[in-house]
Amino acid sequence: MRSSLALAIAAVVFAFPAAAQSRAQTESAIKGTGKYGAAGCGLGSMAFGDTPGAVQILAATTNGLFGTQTFGITTGTSNCGPGLFAMGTKNFVEANREALAKDISRGEGEAIGALTVINACGDSHKVGAALQKNFKTIFPSESASNDDVTRAILETLHGDQSLGCGKS
Amino acid sequence: MASPGAALLLFLLVASPVADVAPGGAPAAQAAPLVARARASRLAEDPGWLRLGHWRRGLRGLRSEVDGREFFLAKTGKIDPAAELEATIEGLFSPGPFAEELADPFCRFPARVAFLAARLGLDPAALPPRSCPKLDDFLARVRPGGVTLVFSSYYLNNPSSSFGHTLLRLDKAEGALEGKHFELLDYGVDYAATVDTSNAILYAVKGLFGLFKGEFKHYAYYYKVRQYGDFESRDLWEYDLALAPEETQLLARHLWELGGTWFAYWYLDENCSYHVLGALEAAAPRLDLLSHVGRAVVLPSDTVKALYANAGLVRAVHYRPSIRTQFEARARALDALELRTAVELAGRPAAPFPDALAPERRVAVLDAAQDLLDLRHGRKLVMGEDPAAAQLRQALLERRAEIPVPSVALEVPAPEVRRPDQGHGSFRAGLAGGASRAYGGYAALDGRLALHDLADPLRGYPPTAQIEFLPTRLRYYPEHQRLELDDVSLVKVVSLNPVSRWDQRPSWRMRVGATTVRDGGCAGCLAGAIELGGGLGAANLAGPVDLLALGDAELLGSPRLDGIRGAGVRLGLGPSALVRIRAGERAVLLAEARWRYLPFAVPEQTWTVSGTLRLHLARALSLALEARAAPEERDVQAGVLVYR
Repeated sequence: MRSSLALAIAAVVFAFPAAAQSRAQTESAIKGTGKYGAAGCGLGSMAFGDTPGAVQILAATTNGLFGTQTFGITTGTSNCGPGLFAMGTKNFVEANREALAKDISRGEGEAIGALTVINACGDSHKVGAALQKNFKTIFPSESASNDDVTRAILETLHGDQSLGCGKS
Repeated sequence: MASPGAALLLFLLVASPVADVAPGGAPAAQAAPLVARARASRLAEDPGWLRLGHWRRGLRGLRSEVDGREFFLAKTGKIDPAAELEATIEGLFSPGPFAEELADPFCRFPARVAFLAARLGLDPAALPPRSCPKLDDFLARVRPGGVTLVFSSYYLNNPSSSFGHTLLRLDKAEGALEGKHFELLDYGVDYAATVDTSNAILYAVKGLFGLFKGEFKHYAYYYKVRQYGDFESRDLWEYDLALAPEETQLLARHLWELGGTWFAYWYLDENCSYHVLGALEAAAPRLDLLSHVGRAVVLPSDTVKALYANAGLVRAVHYRPSIRTQFEARARALDALELRTAVELAGRPAAPFPDALAPERRVAVLDAAQDLLDLRHGRKLVMGEDPAAAQLRQALLERRAEIPVPSVALEVPAPEVRRPDQGHGSFRAGLAGGASRAYGGYAALDGRLALHDLADPLRGYPPTAQIEFLPTRLRYYPEHQRLELDDVSLVKVVSLNPVSRWDQRPSWRMRVGATTVRDGGCAGCLAGAIELGGGLGAANLAGPVDLLALGDAELLGSPRLDGIRGAGVRLGLGPSALVRIRAGERAVLLAEARWRYLPFAVPEQTWTVSGTLRLHLARALSLALEARAAPEERDVQAGVLVYR
């Protein structure tokens, strides 16, 4: 017997509020549109379509000791890293949209650094300045789709030779 | 690495071997010499092999903690490391064909292959040719160049992670730019239960008794940053580990092996923290980690302490501030007028700047306003539930983008006093002597499984949170030969959220347990107790004073209790107040007063006043003085507390 009965009862009471949350996790996590198939970046693209923020919800609800995700290492659908340009950028935008918008408005930040690496650009400071200048083109409204945001970012990065971004 | 096989191992790992020489002869015949060598050298008893298979010696002898059948090639693999070793060698020489890549031992067990190559001289080039596209793809995506153990701090708002959480981050070999490593592009790997029930009782029971499947999973690290840092506002502590390149490579391959199987998930001990350490031990047998964590309960904070039990293992510690910490740092850099403007902007993005505010200062004010808005509405923004807040945010971001000045990167120094590796041990035991008006002198015994209360040493813990698992206080009165369970809680939580101008979250407490009643309801009887309270808290008043004022509801039950209309159940309603005064890190004074109205019960009201003074002599040793008054009792006691 690993755990005394007392401990069991403790956790029953203690875990009560958590269970409601875990239900939401389970139900949302198993939907899986598979829209981005094996090219997706992380689990979000497996489980959701293009709903803005949806990917972040999933990230937000896979929590703590009782996290729920739909796939393990063996199914490997994640793909993120330098040189992936379009797909890498899109995946990154999906999951980091709120943080990215903030960093772009500031012309600086970790999310801009990551975009610089994904798109093989030369200098994150220049990238930040260029994205900041185009903020209203990239995020014309709070409801712009992730696809449009991605497209505008790619156009900004790859349309400006001086940024030295790789070819997509 | 001093091992003579290290160079070969590294070569094999990096070169991603695919054999191109077709072997001749039957597989069994080719494997035979290696099997003989393994037997002669008793390789199956090697700690490296035992850890790769997660075999541990228990009451029933050696058993693997892995519960998935597919992790074993031998029928008796779970309990027989030698049989598994031989089956692995034979499997590697099997020419196939295999139903799928993961049925091929060579692709399924790359860490075992590396181990056998290094320790037994297995030559992958002599194996039948095969390809492992999924494995190669995994390794190509992860490209591990380093390993970091990440601790996400305590989160009281979700019981399942109120003790914190640990995961591994596989740091990409490249991706560095301008001398910086971009962690957002790394991979995180953690071990978590796959929850398959929506029933709260089942959920808890299954978690406690190992009925969930626990699995290793990997994902882009930025999911965790977004989740913990932004969504839940939890600071992250990142411990970079000094692993040799071949150990890092072996870890990635071993995680691949574990990713395809499962363990029974035990909430208390074989949990996320336990198996993360187990995987590290398997990749680097020189490490000794699991022997440094508790037997009954393994807490995430124990894992970071276990790292430090291995000299030189932690290369560097990084701190990733949550959105709350970021905002607080930005707010500190503003003067009063600027801060007022930032708070105003967070609610009304078009609000005017004060005259003569220079562009750099406007940037600082806007950046603080953005963080405040995210702190207030972050969850709903991410969920798309608050269109009004989303519009606010868009307007604020547009306003910020109009000033073509890049923000200065925010540097938040790591708060050393919160470092989880420096906290006191979570298990506590105490011995005290005291005197009670009702029963005379007594000896008191204090025990607690985990984790921290408001009077414990503050270092390494959140400053205003208490979370305890099974705190128990026993008393023995020799004059009356009376043994008494003074108080016990299955779980006890106090969440003091200091109120500030931008944070009005309520404070709360809850506990479930039993207590000895000290009033006319039934003097000296033991009653089950459930208690829930909510109110407001304040911290750092005049420096060292913290306050908490609550309205409580308490339910007591005992057959001897003169409760509601004579029944054995009694409801108590009323206020309580708690004051804590800190004297540096060495002393804490905690005082508490409660008053309860007891509807339809005898007596009609009750109260308690108590005070605790703790002197923290060392990380593991404190002195405790306590005094308490209640209608039918006055007592004082003094003793020592030991943490480990």
